Amino acid sequence: MASKFSLKLGKVKARKKSAVTAEDDERSTIAAATKCVTEWTAWGLQKGKVITHYGFIPLIIIIGMKSEPRPSLAQLLSPV
Amino acid sequence: MATLVSPPPNNVTTPADEKQKVDYLNLPCPIPYEEIHREAFMSLKPEFFEGMRFDFTKGLNQRFSLSHSVVMGPTEIPSQSSEIIKIPSAQYEFGANFLDPKVMLLGRVLTDGRLSARLKIDLTENLTLKANAQLTAEPNMSHGLWNFDYKGRDYRTQLQLGNGGLFGASYIQSVSPHLSLGGEVFWAAEHLKSGIGYAARYNTDKMVATGQVASTGMVALSYVQKVSEKVSLASDFTYNYMSRDVTASVGYDYILRQCRLRGKIDSNGVVGALLEERLNMGLNLLLSAEIDHVKKDYKFGFGLTVGE
Repeated sequence: MASKFSLKLGKVKARKKSAVTAEDDERSTIAAATKCVTEWTAWGLQKGKVITHYGFIPLIIIIGMKSEPRPSLAQLLSPV
Repeated sequence: MATLVSPPPNNVTTPADEKQKVDYLNLPCPIPYEEIHREAFMSLKPEFFEGMRFDFTKGLNQRFSLSHSVVMGPTEIPSQSSEIIKIPSAQYEFGANFLDPKVMLLGRVLTDGRLSARLKIDLTENLTLKANAQLTAEPNMSHGLWNFDYKGRDYRTQLQLGNGGLFGASYIQSVSPHLSLGGEVFWAAEHLKSGIGYAARYNTDKMVATGQVASTGMVALSYVQKVSEKVSLASDFTYNYMSRDVTASVGYDYILRQCRLRGKIDSNGVVGALLEERLNMGLNLLLSAEIDHVKKDYKFGFGLTVGE
């Protein structure tokens, strides 16, 4: 009797555990997805910051040299 | 018996009054929320500097220009004690500007690699994107801020997004031809701070009065009177009800033909003046003085600006 009881308890516990692990799985996939997204956005922002840091002033110079009337390279580099 | 002709009541519209009758559907567009204290700050908070400054702006084009700037002098280091620590330093800054009616790009880079960038694009006639960034090579010391501004017929709204989870929004509306009211709200995720503020601005041709209250404890009132075309006087009162800090200042702004002189005196014992004199076409002399009698900090600077 006691063994049957303990067997039943064991089954109930196993069912509860399996339900809990299914929820856990869902939560962990969502957590993993959000972690993935935050990691990738952090990586993107970091690379964007480096690109802006090195490329912003050359970008302004390129846009300026292409605007009308076109200045020449000598005008860009001379100190006068 | 002479009949007394009573004077016409005030709400009878004469032809002169017709023009001045307020058309509440056609109010002027208000000043942007962050510039609400603009006239007062121009007089009372000019850019004082210490040491020598030399700015050279070379225009390659009507819209594109390069700028070189050399600054030599003591720079202050923030310190915990009330003593002021200054370290002499010299810096060269290279900048490129592109100014178009629709697009404005401004970039400045210092010798130690710090970049300060500003961007303004008119996406449509009423929507403007602005961005401001200070980037350094050190990690976690860079800041960036994006602003989206929308200008309606008699209102302006702005949305701000910054790094570190900074989020802000503001709205200002013209309530009458002279009065505009606005409010703002901000939230900083990193510091877990949020705040709400209100502002009001009343301006006529001769004077501007503004008031601003914020939940961070700041109350700021200012009044600017334009005494003549060349002279305007300003006064400002700032009170922080959390930290019980009060500052009042009075200043003047003389815009003369060849020079611009701005001076102020403060309740913290600070007296300052800034002179920008036009020596010749494209050549400006700058003299700056800021004397803090209480902290015994005396700052004098001179500079030359070449180019437009």
